[in-house]
Amino acid sequence: MRLTDRRFALALIAPAALFLAAFVAWPLLRFVANAFYQISPMAGGPRKFVGFENFATAFGSPAFQGAALRTIVYTVVVVALEFTFGLAVALVFAALGSRSAVFRTVFMYPLMVAPVVAGLLWRFLLIDNFGILNELLRRGGLLHSTDQIGWLSNPKIALFSVAMPDIWLTTSFITLVLFAGLQNVPGDVIEAARIDGVRFPTLLFRIILPLLRPVIAVALIVRGIDAARAFDIILIQTSGGPQDSTTTLSLLIYRTMTRNGDPGLASAMGTVYLIGMLVVAAIAIFAIWRPGGDQA
Amino acid sequence: MNGLETRRRPTRVILWGTLVAVLVLYGFPFVYLLLTSFKTPLDAIAVPPQVLPSQWTLDNYVAALSKEGVVPALINSGATAVLSTAFSLALGVPAAYAITRYRTPSGRIFVVAALVTRMVPTIAVGAPLVETMRRLGISDTTIGLAIAHTTISLPLSIWLMSSFFEAVPVELEEAAKVDGSDRLQAFRHVVLPVVSGGLAVTAIFAFLASWNEFLFALLLTSVRAQTTPIVIANFQTQFGLDWGGMTALSAVYSVPVILLTLALQRHIVAGLTLGAVKG
Repeated sequence: MRLTDRRFALALIAPAALFLAAFVAWPLLRFVANAFYQISPMAGGPRKFVGFENFATAFGSPAFQGAALRTIVYTVVVVALEFTFGLAVALVFAALGSRSAVFRTVFMYPLMVAPVVAGLLWRFLLIDNFGILNELLRRGGLLHSTDQIGWLSNPKIALFSVAMPDIWLTTSFITLVLFAGLQNVPGDVIEAARIDGVRFPTLLFRIILPLLRPVIAVALIVRGIDAARAFDIILIQTSGGPQDSTTTLSLLIYRTMTRNGDPGLASAMGTVYLIGMLVVAAIAIFAIWRPGGDQA
Repeated sequence: MNGLETRRRPTRVILWGTLVAVLVLYGFPFVYLLLTSFKTPLDAIAVPPQVLPSQWTLDNYVAALSKEGVVPALINSGATAVLSTAFSLALGVPAAYAITRYRTPSGRIFVVAALVTRMVPTIAVGAPLVETMRRLGISDTTIGLAIAHTTISLPLSIWLMSSFFEAVPVELEEAAKVDGSDRLQAFRHVVLPVVSGGLAVTAIFAFLASWNEFLFALLLTSVRAQTTPIVIANFQTQFGLDWGGMTALSAVYSVPVILLTLALQRHIVAGLTLGAVKG
């Protein structure tokens, strides 16, 4: 039998497809199915079908509502700050041209650091009494004493503090992606705008950013998804405390699954979380990216 | 040459100054980690903290590496990452090739599915995988964890490799086919050598994804197959707050991969930006 192109393509795709079906789709289906059962935390324990009860419990619980809100705040803070910094640094690199190449390399290094290491490192930098950050601020005359700011122990600011290593870790990614995008902005467009006497802010917001739209969309979507899933980086710094002020959804679901031993409820929470992510990502893709609309 | 590059001297001086300041701030956390790893255990938690060690010592490295389970965890991390990279390339490269060369409907559905996989919270796959691995008889094994890590790196590999295959001219394969090679031969002997740089980049990303991963390792391993991120995390409970040892092990774990990737930086930048910039 002659192998058609179509069959040949299918044969090449099949192993990867089967792998993802077996180790992503199937576990995920079981996870979603579990959301409709009351499950004993013991392996092989009894299961009882309870319909949407777990979902009602989840939506009604202040812990879930709080964690959902914190996940949104965390994601927005991380993505907004790293986009601002990342864009600023990318513009500096672009303005300095090819001689900044070595520095671009150095700037990239946090991308290789494990999130666990980054989280622990920042916990070390931020610790109240012997953390170097407060000590440097004190020496700079900004603080009277090193325990004036409890970065990770004050529930009011802890959520912003735990975001810092995430921003540190991945601003480089935004910079690299935007820098590459800037390379593709046609030089004569900018030259023409300059000759017309357009000021830099106008140039940035009216010409450069709109041209970068697809690149920005990819960077924001990729980072938004990852920030919303952040787990180890927060766990290692605060374990979700103080007073649950840094418990995001991924931590709450993990805790409900393992420590509180309610896999059914944890699955319901996870299912809501997953649907939320898919909806937001779909909106983002169609709103900013417009695939097919502007193929570069 | 790029239109954004500025030629005015005062502006350039200010920008260089800004850049250096940013890099110092950005580099400081990790430099401080390295400096701390060479301090004595007491120096590491001194109040007030000092930036430079008062006395340089390798004690933290010796102590950290001689702790039970640390060296096996490093070996496990390496083995898991290598195995997962191999799975990821073996499955992802042919799939990416088929998707870019033969734009079949199944290929298009598959791309969307692989993208959705990226949005799935790790715990939603990880928790049921515990049961799957037990049934397959590979719970708490390196191969089990490598399979789990491949669920992260495979979509990424397909995405990256598609961009690299995209850049290979179809004429190259046509020529090979005229010379009498079949599709598989053309793929293996003509296309793969052309994308070898892309293969290296994809391999590094798959390796890093596994090397730095935490939650799957936490859920799927206990003792035998435990990887280093879990051991580093345990430094705070198991051994008290051993900041000296923690920084030393973190340095051992991070410095080689940082150096390796910086050495290959040109390729890495290409890999990181290719997919995104193509849009």
